[in-house]
Amino acid sequence: MAGIGACSLGTTLMISALLLVGVSPASAQAAKPAPRPAPVRGKSLFARDCAFCHGRDAAGGESGPDLTRSRLVARDVRGDKIQAVVHDGRIEKGMPPFPRLTLPQVNDVIAFIRDQTRNLNSKPGGRRGVDVTDLQTGNSEQGKAYFNGPGKCSSCHSPTGDLAGIATQREGLELEMQMLYPQNTKAKLTVITTSGETFTGTLTYKDEFHIAMTDSEGWYRSWPIRAVEYKIDSRSDAHIEQFEKYTDNDIHNLMAYLQTLR
Amino acid sequence: MKSLSKKRILCAIGLLFFFPGRLLSQGLDPAIIANPPADSWPSYHGDYSGRRHSPLTQITPQNVGSIGLAWAFQTGQEATIKSSPLLVDGVLYFTVPDNVWAVDARTGHQIWHYTYKPNAGMHLGHRGVAMYKQWLYFSTPDAHLISLEAKNGKVRWDVVVGDIKKGYWTTMAPLVVRDHVILGVGGDLDNIGAYVRSIDPETGKMQWQWNTTPAAGTPNSTTGGTIWLTGTYDPDLNMLYTGTGNPTPVLNGKTRPGDNLYTCTIAALNPDTGKLIWAFQPSPHDTHDWDAIEVPVMVDSDFHGEPRKLLMQASRNGYFFVLDRTNGKSLLTAPFGPVNWTLGIDKEGRPIPNPDKEPAPDGRLIAPDEGGMTNFRSPSFDPKNGLFIVSARESYSLYFAKPADGAYGWAGADYGLWGKGIIKAIDYQTGRIRWSHDIGDTASAGVLTTDSGVTFTGDSSGNVLALDSSDGKTLWYAGTGGQIASSPITYELDHRQYVLTGSGGVLFAWSLPEGNE
Repeated sequence: MAGIGACSLGTTLMISALLLVGVSPASAQAAKPAPRPAPVRGKSLFARDCAFCHGRDAAGGESGPDLTRSRLVARDVRGDKIQAVVHDGRIEKGMPPFPRLTLPQVNDVIAFIRDQTRNLNSKPGGRRGVDVTDLQTGNSEQGKAYFNGPGKCSSCHSPTGDLAGIATQREGLELEMQMLYPQNTKAKLTVITTSGETFTGTLTYKDEFHIAMTDSEGWYRSWPIRAVEYKIDSRSDAHIEQFEKYTDNDIHNLMAYLQTLR
Repeated sequence: MKSLSKKRILCAIGLLFFFPGRLLSQGLDPAIIANPPADSWPSYHGDYSGRRHSPLTQITPQNVGSIGLAWAFQTGQEATIKSSPLLVDGVLYFTVPDNVWAVDARTGHQIWHYTYKPNAGMHLGHRGVAMYKQWLYFSTPDAHLISLEAKNGKVRWDVVVGDIKKGYWTTMAPLVVRDHVILGVGGDLDNIGAYVRSIDPETGKMQWQWNTTPAAGTPNSTTGGTIWLTGTYDPDLNMLYTGTGNPTPVLNGKTRPGDNLYTCTIAALNPDTGKLIWAFQPSPHDTHDWDAIEVPVMVDSDFHGEPRKLLMQASRNGYFFVLDRTNGKSLLTAPFGPVNWTLGIDKEGRPIPNPDKEPAPDGRLIAPDEGGMTNFRSPSFDPKNGLFIVSARESYSLYFAKPADGAYGWAGADYGLWGKGIIKAIDYQTGRIRWSHDIGDTASAGVLTTDSGVTFTGDSSGNVLALDSSDGKTLWYAGTGGQIASSPITYELDHRQYVLTGSGGVLFAWSLPEGNE
């Protein structure tokens, strides 16, 4: 049986080899193309790695912002700002890393985005994205009433305290997004260990099984979550509770009110 | 001499009688996809039902705490594994864009690795291959379908299924139904038509094509409706079930009035002709990118006391649908998390979109966000507990669109504000959530359930989780060090049950320690 097995296997392999020669598509090797300008090379790379999130025209798409209006892209000089973002990703914002894109490739991509910026700027009728002027449909008096009333904003915030001059620090969409849910706020973590030691710091990691902080001296410390008692003081939770209560008018009015805080 | 000639005779007999048998025993008879044996996972969902539920019981709620790593396979690639491996004849076949591997399912040892040519197609992800007899079918970022020899990864043929210059691309694991290899195009496509196509597994020739929308350029009509996830199939009814994607332009619905059929739709097709049998639309006139592509799961069960052939979908728009899959009639529509974009449910069971929640120049607060309440990750149906278990994500976002954004492609902008991943177990009779299990800020791992009552999935920190299917409590976990963006599979070889989970570019096989099975 072993001999027969070997016999048939060999035959099968041989037939396969013959079939391969016969039916493999002859993928004709294209003649070596002439060097292409950077935006053309960048367009191919962009289509491959970036277009799904940032749109094929780089003007924004599924989950990725409009790069033709990106301040970081505008300020970049030969990849000095964008290379790191591409290489490491922005995991917290959902952008994966692309560590294998080389610096020349990143520069090609930037060249494509700048080309697109010029193309889109030259189109009549304005641009995609959200301008400060788009967000001026609210009523500041009603926004103030919401701030002090049903929005309960005043229970944590004050126009003469933490929000004094907020409209001079942030504007437009950035201000509105921060208003709805503060990004990058650091929750305070207190951990009491089984031996009774107390640690306080900034919450830096938490999953179902472990919790970690950066302590007041800047050191990272972690614990199995079931082995300690802990308390997280997160001031942004009230914003989550508010989501289901807002009308769109409430948001626009609140935005109008915040813009008076100069 | 005598003995030699005897050997020759034996060999000849072998060729006559065993050679054809051997050919049939190697590879995949498509008839077994409907009822796969425990030592196989012959299609993307494991079988035609889309339940991603296994009859295996070696790993139980009582012993899952002692499972460990059987082996790990490093792809060495930057791309995250998003495919479900196939398992046929002890060999696993799985993918990332441009790459296919054949790996020994017992050891994780590589048998072969196929690499496609460099190309400019969208390299977002890849769901895996399909198999028919001795051949694999692999879709590429530049919209080709390639047939490979399963034993060595050699190319058998290569056909074009979409024009990359127009923007077509493919990521989908095809579905084999008898002698049809069924494959759709996209992901997101800009203002072009989408379709699903049936291809002859022997020749690569097109058998039929079903277009989801009228031809691009038809006035007052939509484009889009891409088909990018593997559907399900009922052999008794001979109906193929597939979801379809969102209409385009995406956020601007003004140039495409009406329901925009057949985008954001669950469609029943005849797999032999591609003719539409019925359609149900979870999101009429979508303006939020909520593909209804999610797995249409087939369950045969009593529903409110009556025996039914059911089709269930937890849809990206935040609603859970139960349909009668013989005719597409709605039996239940219920949200499975916060949604704020509807005026109610119509008499056909479809959510009624609120026109005031279409993207606007000054922004609209929308739940869920464009990623939806669920997405590509597979749910699982656990018949014992009567639960549809889905990796969900609650979220809020701002949607904008103004005339200057035009009517091409995305045609607007949206910004996520907040989100939270939760494994939710939905009672399919009522739509109520029986248990929830928080998994962090995001959700990307699919769900697998087993007859012993274990639910396998992952959290947003890269922990693979085993939960008790009856109450969602954690039974076991392991940190994997990467994003889990695929759906687990399971199989049994040599009396040993394995559970496979992808994480980053690594495939992990988990099992009970040898000798403790």
